[in-house]
Amino acid sequence: MADYILPKTDVVIVGGGWTGLTTAYELAREGQRCVVLERGRDRHTATSFAGPEEHDELKYALHHAHMMELRKETLTFRNTRDQRALPMRRLGSFLPGSGLGGAGIHWNGQLWRPLPSDLEMRSHYADRYGADFIPDELSIQDWGVSYDELEPHLEFFERICGTAGTAGNLDGEPREGGNRHEGPRASGYPNPPMKQPIATTLFGEAAARLGMSPFPMPSANVTQAYENPYGAQLHPCTYCGFCERFGCGYHAKADPIICVYDRIKDHENFEIRCDSQVLRVEKASDGKTATGVTYLDKSGVEYFQPADIVCLNAYALWNVHLMLVSGLGEPYDPETRSGVVGRNYSYQTIAAVDVFLDDEIVTNPFMGAGALGVAVDDFNGDNFDHSDLGFLGGGYIACTQYHGRPISYQPVPEGTPAWGAEWKKAVRDNYLHHTGIVVHGSSAATPDNYLDLDPTWKDAYGRPLLRMTFDFPQNDRKMSDYVLQRAVEIAEEMDHVRSISTINRAAQDSRYSLVPYQTTHNAGGAVIGTDPRTSVVNRYGQMWDHHNVFVFGACLFPQNLGYNPTGPLMGLAYWTLHHLKSDYLSNPRPLMDA
Amino acid sequence: MSNPCYGRKRGYSRRAVLAQVGLGGVAATLGQLRGVRHAFAQDDGRPWYFLDDAEARWLAAACDTLIPEDEYPSASQAGVVDFIDFQLASDYGAGAGLYMDGPHQSGTPEQGYQFAFPPSDLFRNAIDALLQDDPPLTELDAEGRHEALRGLSESEDNLTDDIPAQAFFTELRTLTNQGYFADPIHLGNHDYAGWQMVGFPGAHAYYLSTVDDHNRHHPAPPMGVAHDRSGGSSLPRLIERGE
Ligand SMILES: Cc1cc2nc3c(=O)[nH]c(=O)nc-3n(C[C@H](O)[C@H](O)[C@H](O)COP(=O)(O)OP(=O)(O)OC[C@H]3O[C@@H](n4cnc5c(N)ncnc54)[C@H](O)[C@@H]3O)c2cc1C
Repeated sequence: MADYILPKTDVVIVGGGWTGLTTAYELAREGQRCVVLERGRDRHTATSFAGPEEHDELKYALHHAHMMELRKETLTFRNTRDQRALPMRRLGSFLPGSGLGGAGIHWNGQLWRPLPSDLEMRSHYADRYGADFIPDELSIQDWGVSYDELEPHLEFFERICGTAGTAGNLDGEPREGGNRHEGPRASGYPNPPMKQPIATTLFGEAAARLGMSPFPMPSANVTQAYENPYGAQLHPCTYCGFCERFGCGYHAKADPIICVYDRIKDHENFEIRCDSQVLRVEKASDGKTATGVTYLDKSGVEYFQPADIVCLNAYALWNVHLMLVSGLGEPYDPETRSGVVGRNYSYQTIAAVDVFLDDEIVTNPFMGAGALGVAVDDFNGDNFDHSDLGFLGGGYIACTQYHGRPISYQPVPEGTPAWGAEWKKAVRDNYLHHTGIVVHGSSAATPDNYLDLDPTWKDAYGRPLLRMTFDFPQNDRKMSDYVLQRAVEIAEEMDHVRSISTINRAAQDSRYSLVPYQTTHNAGGAVIGTDPRTSVVNRYGQMWDHHNVFVFGACLFPQNLGYNPTGPLMGLAYWTLHHLKSDYLSNPRPLMDA
Repeated sequence: MSNPCYGRKRGYSRRAVLAQVGLGGVAATLGQLRGVRHAFAQDDGRPWYFLDDAEARWLAAACDTLIPEDEYPSASQAGVVDFIDFQLASDYGAGAGLYMDGPHQSGTPEQGYQFAFPPSDLFRNAIDALLQDDPPLTELDAEGRHEALRGLSESEDNLTDDIPAQAFFTELRTLTNQGYFADPIHLGNHDYAGWQMVGFPGAHAYYLSTVDDHNRHHPAPPMGVAHDRSGGSSLPRLIERGE
């Protein structure tokens, strides 16, 4: 029982990141009284992230000062069901956010759209290659929302972020210098692309010689003074090299604090309570709706916050956790393959090529930005013929220059010892003459990869930890290997290359590991769809079982695409909010028949 | 008798090193003499925050094997032992960022850190075990130390009941590396040794007009968070090799 029952609000929003603050903005302006509950602390771009104090690699990039605290909440992990899952005791593979702005303050800002075929994964592959083509080990499915439906919402979020890039497909018209594989866009990017350093330029030239179509990575590191549709002012990026894992005190990386929060925080319908840990969603006795949420404040006082609408914006993993501990939706059972909550958890396949360049090429790696790079999309999604490849999915290949932060950026050629005199010399000889190419690939869902509750370990609030069971399926290992080979071909074609080496986190003989950082692109577990037997929410992001619960974030992805998630998930968020405002508020009910 | 010291060498000329690394100049030397600006400033003979002298000596020998002196300072000359000492005495050592609830059991490499104790205990217990080696690391010559650390890095054995040799080695290598390259406010990377070595200009970073100026060196003298040309870290402690 809660210590206090608070006055009812129209909407309670769990989480103050990109999705949560945007939900509050859109609904508060629609006349709904919104309360945002954020487990982390209050903080602000201008005061909390100013350089040079912010530019402390050890504190922020390696000790994760902006990220979630595992001693309060974590998960347990195992590769397969026959293992015992053990707690994630230390952050590694992914770095979930906490505090005002969520992970959106320390993201890279690589802002992609899904391919039209990504959103119709199963039917697209079945149509093009025949239903037998899809490996049995995969439980991939369609999103239930089409690219054309999402396009205006994807476009709006690009404008919220002042995205810098070159359009490749304006309303069906191919555009030179952009991504010729992208879906048709109604308008170009709001800002011109970023400046390119030498290494990414050499990569683009090589890719073009090989007949591929290089283009500047779409970037929420803004390239000129810009005002977004909410009236937020953004400044040009300084290429300072302290971007991902850091907040941007220059107001140059779009983040949810500057872009959204500042524009709504004084609105009479908006209220945020930080240091407020939501413990569970409470259900009504009719079994059809939720009544609000129970949360704990900093001093340990428990409150019940009643609300007409509950929005789950707590990040992919913690949305699923909240559903499981609250008994929202039917938990997935891998034995019987029934139930939906926790089903189709997926991740991201990451491989990379290290490219060592002649001494005359001076890369100055410390001049970087989180979304600085040149990409090719020729081996992403179904942009290439899969007929004889034996896998589905793909990834983009990008030469990037994020940073030269010297603890994390120590490229040495293959065969160099890991320490000692030879290593030391190699670090100094290569620091200014290296570049990296990333293969950022899709992750297909399988019946054996899922999320549920751990039987043993508990969080600081006494709730069972989320349990993750995950390894890359064979499909993804083949895919990652194939696209990595294409990246190697580009590297070999680059001018001034001395040597190259590769690394693949989804290599054939390895297992997915929680230890090295890969991406904070956890996906699935509460997926969107049109069939309640295989999705948690309907195509409007509304829970099938509880029509006043709306769900946001990458947990909606039925499988993960080759792109970074925030563009697609914010497209979905605006799509959901559009239907909430235009249809649900005036007549609260299930927006689709089960 | 040659009795090499780790950390700041006896008679070691910082000015000479600075000249080599191309900083030199009055500002840097003055920075040195002026000493430090942060709260941890103390004179030589300063006590360690966490380590005892034997542990410090072992660490100096180990860290200087991982990052030996060449044209650029060794790990301990750059304050890496001071860095590790302070890390072990503070949040990192206490495991403040870790989930430590039991039960504990060892897992697969993919499951990561599963120790029932925080990193400060990992270092203390591992080093105390390694101090029992005969002869101890500190008594070996450079080649002997190199072999000893190679052995540690490849060993399939445990150092104690619950510390695999490789797990400790990985943590040791990580911290040594961090100490050499982290901002000097954390007490390592003294005189920006690590940043000078690779050519990293530091925390004050504005490259809007240079990022696409291809292939031009950018030889800005490093500057850290403390806005101090000399880095703002105190002189590394003098570590005698021991009796
Ligand atoms: C280093 C890094 C780089 C990234 N780079 C990119 C990139 O380049 N491109 C891209 O597309 N994506 C990137 N991402 C991912 C991106 O940050 C996320 O997709 C995005 O932030 C998700 O927004 P969200 O609102 O769903 O969740 P979040 O931003 O995680 O916000 C969720 C909020 O909910 C709060 N919360 C959680 N549980 C509770 C609870 N029980 N009670 C109260 N509050 C709770 C959390 O504290 C958090 O503030 C990156 C992430 C990281 C960490």
